[in-house]
Amino acid sequence: MAGGDRPRRRTRGRGGAGGAGGWIAVDTGGTFTDFVRIRDGAVEVVKELSTPRAPEDAILKGLERLGGGGDVIHGSTVATNALLERKGARTALVTTAGFEDVLVIGRQTRRDLYDVFTTRPEPLVSDDCRIGVRQRTLWDGTREVALDADALGALASRVEALGVDSVAVSFLFSFADPTDEERVGALLAGRGVPVSLSSAILPEYREYERTSTTVINAYLAPVMSRYLGRLAATLGSRQLRVMQSNGGAVRAATAAKAPVHTILSGPAGGVVGAFAAGEQAGYSRLITFDMGGTSTDVALLDGQIRVTRENEIDGMPIGVPMMDMHTVGAGGGSIASADAGGALKVGPESAGADPGPICYGAGAEFTVTDANVVLGRLLPRFFLGGGMALDAGRIVGALRRLRWTRGWPSTQRLAQGVIDVVNNNMEQAIRLISVERGHDARDFSLVTFGGAGGLHAATLAAGLGIPRVIVPPHPGVLSALGLLLADARKDYSRSMVGKPATASLIRRTLAALHAQGVRELKDEGFRRSAIAAMDFVDVRYVGQSYELTVPYGRDWEAAFHRAHELRYGHSDAERAVEVVNARTALVGRTPKPAVERIPRTRRPARPLARSRVWVNGRWRSAGVYDRRDLARGHVVQGPAVIGEYSSTTFVPPEFRCDVDSVGNLILTRTR
Amino acid sequence: MSFDPVKLEIYKSLFHSIAEEMGATLRRTAYSPNIKERRDYSTAIFDGQGRMVAQGDHMPVHLGSMPLSVASAIRNRTIDPGDMIVLNDPYRGGTHLPDITLVSGVFGKQERLFFVASRAHHSDVGGMTPGSMPLAEEIYQEGLRIPPVKLIEKGEINRDVWDLVLANVRTPEERDGDLAAMLAANRTGERRLLEIVGKYGLKEVRGYIDELLDYTERMTRHVIRQIPDGVYQAEDVLDGDGLVDAPVRIHARITVRGSRARIDFSKSDLQVGGSVNAVYAITASVVFYVFRTLVGVSIPSTEGGMRPLEVIAPEGTVVNARPPAAVCGGNVETAQRIVDVLYRCLAPALPDRIPAASQGTMNNVTFGGVDPRNGKPFAYYETIAGGMGARPGLDGVSGVHTHMTNSMNTPVEAIELAYPVRVERYRLRRGSGGAGRNAGGDGIEREIRFLTPARVTLLSERRRFAPYGLRGGRPGEPGRNRIIKADGSARDLDSKFETAMEPGDVLSIETPGGGGWGRARRKGVRKQR
Repeated sequence: MAGGDRPRRRTRGRGGAGGAGGWIAVDTGGTFTDFVRIRDGAVEVVKELSTPRAPEDAILKGLERLGGGGDVIHGSTVATNALLERKGARTALVTTAGFEDVLVIGRQTRRDLYDVFTTRPEPLVSDDCRIGVRQRTLWDGTREVALDADALGALASRVEALGVDSVAVSFLFSFADPTDEERVGALLAGRGVPVSLSSAILPEYREYERTSTTVINAYLAPVMSRYLGRLAATLGSRQLRVMQSNGGAVRAATAAKAPVHTILSGPAGGVVGAFAAGEQAGYSRLITFDMGGTSTDVALLDGQIRVTRENEIDGMPIGVPMMDMHTVGAGGGSIASADAGGALKVGPESAGADPGPICYGAGAEFTVTDANVVLGRLLPRFFLGGGMALDAGRIVGALRRLRWTRGWPSTQRLAQGVIDVVNNNMEQAIRLISVERGHDARDFSLVTFGGAGGLHAATLAAGLGIPRVIVPPHPGVLSALGLLLADARKDYSRSMVGKPATASLIRRTLAALHAQGVRELKDEGFRRSAIAAMDFVDVRYVGQSYELTVPYGRDWEAAFHRAHELRYGHSDAERAVEVVNARTALVGRTPKPAVERIPRTRRPARPLARSRVWVNGRWRSAGVYDRRDLARGHVVQGPAVIGEYSSTTFVPPEFRCDVDSVGNLILTRTR
Repeated sequence: MSFDPVKLEIYKSLFHSIAEEMGATLRRTAYSPNIKERRDYSTAIFDGQGRMVAQGDHMPVHLGSMPLSVASAIRNRTIDPGDMIVLNDPYRGGTHLPDITLVSGVFGKQERLFFVASRAHHSDVGGMTPGSMPLAEEIYQEGLRIPPVKLIEKGEINRDVWDLVLANVRTPEERDGDLAAMLAANRTGERRLLEIVGKYGLKEVRGYIDELLDYTERMTRHVIRQIPDGVYQAEDVLDGDGLVDAPVRIHARITVRGSRARIDFSKSDLQVGGSVNAVYAITASVVFYVFRTLVGVSIPSTEGGMRPLEVIAPEGTVVNARPPAAVCGGNVETAQRIVDVLYRCLAPALPDRIPAASQGTMNNVTFGGVDPRNGKPFAYYETIAGGMGARPGLDGVSGVHTHMTNSMNTPVEAIELAYPVRVERYRLRRGSGGAGRNAGGDGIEREIRFLTPARVTLLSERRRFAPYGLRGGRPGEPGRNRIIKADGSARDLDSKFETAMEPGDVLSIETPGGGGWGRARRKGVRKQR
């Protein structure tokens, strides 16, 4: 995606090198808000303790510390948090009469088969705010019952009486004819109520998924709009752009209206950053591994960033394109426990940041991070500048509580067991996105970032047959770095179910989507020459009910058969296919800041110290390195521990670590 | 080999993930909405002796019955490398005819190491009515009966069998695609299991299979020990068998001694003329399910979980039918009632852990005819969710599938695209959950208007006898079936019926609410603290 023709600087939008100070990436994802700016090839990093109640406070402080001007590109968790904590707007949902509860019934299943105490997440719209109106559109777009003026009038007074802050509208088959939804939209917008229409947010078939996506947007729009308004006021004359879940950034005003596109705003920056790091190292087939405190995200990038429409958050589907990312509920803070049958479990309970792992000082439960400390792979001296201390007494106490059944091993073996169990969980997650989708993990490189990734990546790669691990520079702020490298991207789609998939119809449909996209990207400040379209069609064999997305071109049918073969192991070129959706991604290309290459060195890498690490059932002496001392051309033999601010990399004995020209650590197996 | 709790956990998740991966392959490659949208299938892994090692989290009703399919395949056929056995005969390892099971062996260099099995509900296997869930009086009317036979022999498709199957079903193209998907699922399982043996060695893998079975046995015994020793009895009834207007009684007597339990169904009614007869596999599945829910944490589904449980179900009763009884309703309806009976037995022993009765039916709707849009025959099957029973301290969930099934709905927009019908209503049936300190969940209202002549079969329950409440909670509202003719006249119908629909006729189904738990506090009176 990088390179190509560059847009000319315009008053709005993200052309040239930004304002006087260039672009500043601000990622509010975690305990800390990260700030990154690249000036003259040098990376400047600032971390500020996050202020989740008012993220703009930490942002203002950080920008002041960083100094200078500069426009802001933002990875935000405001939408995600409002959704997870149920702190969105009081929202009404307008549906076709008789289908008011589609949102609640969902797919009529329960989350856990064997838990009779299982629950369903509370719907975002309460019972009294779901309103059915008399209207009916059919699959081919016929309006069997058109919405009439009386119904509209009654609806208006009902919405007013409810006093809601936001309204979602989702009628059956509205993708085939959006007229009725648009009438409701016009009516309510005229009364100053923000409205989200399903035919605009996700014009695709399957009413529950479309309704859920639309409701999430309506639920978040007022919150996002208020937050971005406050932030823009704080920033004064600086421009503000927001990262979306699809890996592209848009103007704050766009994000405020379509917040459902920003659910993965933070993690998406990480994937973009990891992709860029991999490409700089010379590899474009990558598996990204972002291991944090309570969860881990993995994604597969097969020469490009991939999006998917099958997403779920807290049990609610989101059908807009998002980074194809899989999350496991295990990370450095996951707690080890033993069950009544004598198996060792790790997670899903987490010690979080408070009280945190035992080695942070206040925790009492044994975590993955503690296991790494026991085994000597995580050294207290590297914990955020050495501030954390290990309480050996507490660790022993916690371990004793774990050993109540037969056959429990020594402290080290138990700690190793915790690592093995969590690595196995991670391995299954990576298998899910690679092998199970027809990819051979041996063709990929593992890019690791986040606080805990570097401790586990090499072992994980070995288990999966992945030949190398790439640890980019500044792994703790890679998500912020990625924001600086993001293009603008907007996704559009249109359902074509029930219509014959003639070439001319597909072209006409795509042309309409292009026109809309180009118009919107021009509004974002991009010149036509900086805008490129990637077209896709969702295709299936006639009679199937799931479709595959393939690039649209002259040979799209052949591409579908190939994709089906790759994913499912069989295909049938004789069988009739149908196009379910036409879709396009319009990309507004932005210039990318260049990162300085680091000089080669002749002196060998010198360890700071030596330390004991437990590997393969015994203690070994390992070199301990400060990453700042490592330069291009350096080679470190395992076992070794390479520490830096907020991240540590463990090099197992059978691995070596090379430093490349931009400072990536490249871990490969030596035998 | 020394026991290592870490390895145990790793094998647990390995086998389970392989079973899930088989399921994902099946779902993704299948043709029918019934498998892809509704996910009515299961996949499982067995060791070389046919002991179940893992099952994907798909359909509980398949839980205890998959091992019997594998046992039957082994007993009736030699299984050589490259062979796959297909079967659906409920009297030889199946459950009801629409559930077709494919069993194959996984071989090392010399010996058989594992079996893998996949099972899917096929939306038509012939018989009296489209959808193959008829109101039959003997199994021959229910569809094509497939004893264990080789569908694949030495890696090659046995066209004789394949063509014979396809010639006996209403939608052969769909069956063809679905069978191919099951084949792909088994091959996925085979490939992954061989990878694991290659990575860890056969000796260790076998050792941990034993450990895994022992582990699930320990977990199950741990739960049974929490039930006070004693004898617990209860009964409940089915509305009827669809032929004779009389309830069908199911009775259970659970005897708990230490960490063992005996579940005796001897006092249940004899098998009946209609199709609500359950074969033994179903009854075993339900017992396994109920005890598994008591464990409280997630444990693997293995043969070990069955070891502490002794099931007594005399042949010729409604819980262990003999041929040629019709059985298609046993799998979907009687199974739910057996759950109700077992929980009712255990409620006094575990008062804070047992839920009130859930809707107790799957509301099986099948219809078929000829689609005027393309002149082709169609057959459709769906089940409709209802109210979940209230739990101690927790209301029941509304509009959800409970206990022995968890199949998804087909989206309204998918139905109308694929079939000549119009869905007129799909919403919660407010107020149908039983009142109580915790209320039962509400059922669902679903109305389907037919645009073309069609035959409809409905197989449902709890239209007459309501789902019970517990500890003073009120019962849930029974379900209701109606037909509203194009001229506006309406009539109520029984739990089970088969009828012809004319264009414009509406089928209206209201599913039962769940029972309440605990006596409801009087309105306006606050509890004193």
